[in-house]
Amino acid sequence: MANFILRKAEPKDVSDILRLIKELAKFEEMEDQVILTEKDLLEDGFGDHPFYHCIVAEVPKQHQSVDGHVIIGFAMYYFTYDPWIGKLLYLEDFYVMKEFRGFGIGSEILKKLSQTAVRTRCSSMHFIVAEWNKPSIEFYKRRGASDLSLEEGWRLFKIDKQNLLKMTNEE
Amino acid sequence: MDFTIRAATLEDCKDISRMILELAEHEKVSDQVKITQKDLEQDGFSKNPFFHGIIAEVPEHLKSRDGHTKVGYSLYFYTYSSWKGRAVYMEDLYVMPEFRGKGIGKALMSKVSQLGLAAGCTQLNFTVLDWNKSSLDFYLKQGCWDVTSDLGYHCMRCEGDALENLAQGDL
Repeated sequence: MANFILRKAEPKDVSDILRLIKELAKFEEMEDQVILTEKDLLEDGFGDHPFYHCIVAEVPKQHQSVDGHVIIGFAMYYFTYDPWIGKLLYLEDFYVMKEFRGFGIGSEILKKLSQTAVRTRCSSMHFIVAEWNKPSIEFYKRRGASDLSLEEGWRLFKIDKQNLLKMTNEE
Repeated sequence: MDFTIRAATLEDCKDISRMILELAEHEKVSDQVKITQKDLEQDGFSKNPFFHGIIAEVPEHLKSRDGHTKVGYSLYFYTYSSWKGRAVYMEDLYVMPEFRGKGIGKALMSKVSQLGLAAGCTQLNFTVLDWNKSSLDFYLKQGCWDVTSDLGYHCMRCEGDALENLAQGDL
């Protein structure tokens, strides 16, 4: 079985995209952290200035998943900026359903993303991997990715909404 | 100290470019800066900007030793969390050394937070290098947390030959 297509996500795909986001979050044991809704995905991905872009992997109906899905993988990305080297492509989520792995779908998605990065003159593709996720780290390292946290000491920081509000109210 | 925080304009790109180099020098890597003033103008001030900027400016009588009134900046852009939705990423935050300790950095960060919240973002993300103790302290005081430390998320990068090879589909 290697019959699949990759295409740009459309508004009708938001239900499947959310399902796959939750599946990936579940794998990271963070399913309860997903508060995004289909409405958010629709609003934020398909207007004049989308916050993200998405490609989906689709199989023909006769190869649907055990629970009846034909959208069986996706990648969510957006463009960022490094003031030293310019445009970058940031890969936010990248996932293929377990029963469809080992068929080269993940590799094809990554290839498509890289082509997009090169075509839009991005100098690099960035993403995050959890350090315990050894198979994924190997997958990426095999493809020439470098670990900036290890090699250059990059630490990712976050401020949540509560503290953001606190900061804006302080004088 | 008397200063104003405002949105960057095309005319500010000369000073932003100057300060980007100053920040790179502080991180000891100024030879890695490939972006020019012209790139900044194109990438930040066209119909579809890849970043936004804010500037900290002092009145003429408080200008720097070498005659500058634009003494700090922040570059940011909008990103997307597949769990929480809209987010804002602060790419650069810099205040010229002679203007530090006067609340300008905090005011710049506060402005980015305000703009982010106004755009519907629920988190602010950024990266800090692990040797940059003074910056780490500043951020932890603002209520940020270190995602790399706490969740083991590593920042990864695929660039140059690795990116080209991925696009070609070679393994």
